[in-house]
Amino acid sequence: MFDWTSFVHSLPLLGQALLVTLKASLAGNLFGFLIAIPVTALRLSSRPLARTLGASYIFVFRGVPLLVQLLVIYYLLPTTGLPNLSPMTAAVLALSLCSGAYIAEILRGGFLAIPPGQIEAARLLGIGAATTLVRIELPQAVRLTLPSLVNELVLLIKASALISVVGLADLSRVAQNLAASDYLFFQHYLVLALAYCLINLPLTFSGRLLERHLARSQYRAAE
Amino acid sequence: MNFDPSILTTHAGEIGDAFLVTVKTWLLGSALGLIVGLALALLIRSLGRWARLPLLALSELIRGTPFLVICFILYYGGPSIGIDLNAIFAGIVCIGFYSSVYFAEIFRSGFNAVPRGQLEAAECLGLGRWQLLVRIELPQMLVIILPALTNLLTVLCKETAILSIITVPELTAVLGGIGTRTFSFAETLVALCLAYLLLVELTARVGNWLERRVGGYLN
Amino acid sequence: MNNYKPSSMLKIFATVLAFAIGSQAAHADVLSDAKASGELKIATEFHFAPFAYLVDGQYAGLNLELMDEVGKRLGFEVSWIDLPWASVLPGLEAGNYDFVAGPAMVTRERQSRYAFTLPIADATVGLIKRENDDSIEKPEDVAGKRVGVQRGSAQADEFRAFNQTLPEPATITEYVDFTQSMADLAARRVDAVANSLPNIAYTATQRPMFAVVEPTFGKPAYFAYMARNDAESASLVEAINQTLGQMHEDGSLAALQTKWFGAPMDVPTGDFVPEL
Repeated sequence: MFDWTSFVHSLPLLGQALLVTLKASLAGNLFGFLIAIPVTALRLSSRPLARTLGASYIFVFRGVPLLVQLLVIYYLLPTTGLPNLSPMTAAVLALSLCSGAYIAEILRGGFLAIPPGQIEAARLLGIGAATTLVRIELPQAVRLTLPSLVNELVLLIKASALISVVGLADLSRVAQNLAASDYLFFQHYLVLALAYCLINLPLTFSGRLLERHLARSQYRAAE
Repeated sequence: MNFDPSILTTHAGEIGDAFLVTVKTWLLGSALGLIVGLALALLIRSLGRWARLPLLALSELIRGTPFLVICFILYYGGPSIGIDLNAIFAGIVCIGFYSSVYFAEIFRSGFNAVPRGQLEAAECLGLGRWQLLVRIELPQMLVIILPALTNLLTVLCKETAILSIITVPELTAVLGGIGTRTFSFAETLVALCLAYLLLVELTARVGNWLERRVGGYLN
Repeated sequence: MNNYKPSSMLKIFATVLAFAIGSQAAHADVLSDAKASGELKIATEFHFAPFAYLVDGQYAGLNLELMDEVGKRLGFEVSWIDLPWASVLPGLEAGNYDFVAGPAMVTRERQSRYAFTLPIADATVGLIKRENDDSIEKPEDVAGKRVGVQRGSAQADEFRAFNQTLPEPATITEYVDFTQSMADLAARRVDAVANSLPNIAYTATQRPMFAVVEPTFGKPAYFAYMARNDAESASLVEAINQTLGQMHEDGSLAALQTKWFGAPMDVPTGDFVPEL
């Protein structure tokens, strides 16, 4: 049933592919977070134009399938005169733009949960808007939304299964190539699923632990 | 860059069919996932602490696996273990199978959100378990989970693009094919973006409208 | 609510974007760039045995050995980018890489858009079926049956043309790659797969459960590699053509064909007009 020779042959390739998947999704998550901060700020701004800008960003990057976003970034943008991207840059860019929109929605909830008194106090103390954002609001918003952020990372790692359409030999592509070489489709795809679970399940569980921890500390604070 | 949208009108019939396939696999797949998810949530709730473990473990495994890989396993791995589905049906099953665990999770949190006191009151009034579920729990829960359901539906709409990889003749597959055949990559990609934005926006609006209509019943 | 200055936020956003995008110099001449950097980026699809595929966990095939040899003679090393076929040509046009060793079937329509090298193999389209399926003895027997083709391929167009001549057209399913169509042939979701002779013949010898349907139905056609049809790529195509000419003469191309196809192939060694 299970062909061990084929499995052992596939390990070095799968190992390299695992690194590609991790690199792209972790970088995508990091840059996505950096994109999400200004997008959230725009979204929560008091100026209608800024709010529209933030909302449009989220609308577009949450509304178009990642598969289509990848194709647009890798195949369409260069024909408009923008520079060519390496497959890894294109993949990280697509993943960060997309996760930026999702993370912005998560962070928005966190920002709204911060008592407005704090921001007024900061303003009275003469602390600038940007400093207030980065030093006072962001740390609290992240703390409050950490479980959702971990969950978003899991979603992004799963979404990264599509990056082979821009030419990266990630886990999914290598498993496809392996299946093409010996027609053991079920075996290679099962191993592939387990590989993703091996990365994702520890993340999911730590996310849940964080959630419980957070709920308990909030309960204590309320008392 | 040449941009010639007429390529879309000359292939309008083909694209229209593909649009219908996208909508069909999306809605039927979601309906399947909703039903299986509800059953799963009820089953897990009714089982004991240990008996529910295998189901929970399976849910975790499905949630840890990318949708693309679920499609690969069901469609290309399926025949070697005797599951053999045609492409569109396979697409519906893939969406349904994948989404069922997410629907189940939404239902679980929905059930938890119905105030306990109401259930006790209903029991005191002599309502049976089935009546309790259908008349008290489900209606309230559906209102509570409506935003989450809308959100999941939009996610699933976009996941249908991945079905192009398992030969389902939906929008991404057909527009991609036209693009390669006629070298009009830009036109087809822009059309794809617009089509999905339209579907997702429509879903969000219907969801909002429903929320406003039924939200009042909660108070 | 809070009052941020959108302009400063946009600046942060723009900086992040610029950092993510980076910049690349425009191409001067593809061949001299490749020689200077010692590297030529080539796109292929590792699902196309015996041209490019995996053997026991190692990438192998005629494309790799042929282009390695060409690179050795011209002074660059090849770095491969593995893509689904439907993405390969858009990526070439976008300039994400400068050469495609797919290989692609030479057609007049493609010739008007891309610069092809000399042919490297026969590409005439035929059908492959399950070996034990007696209902298909000749190509016309697929009338009314289900046939798999590869999305965005010239072979698919060739089968569509043939399909119109059948009394009852076959139902066509489009696959992302050749392997997936073969997987579905094995799973009985299709009754035959249309693709070029080298691919189907190789697959039939490797997997006895399949058999080639004799004869091929397509017009004589050839596989070649391709570049963009622009001034920057002209010298690369010319240099590769010269090398291929040398390899024709010294017998190394025939040796590679024998190794991967079982026999040398008769392909044009100069300009030719494709019949498709």
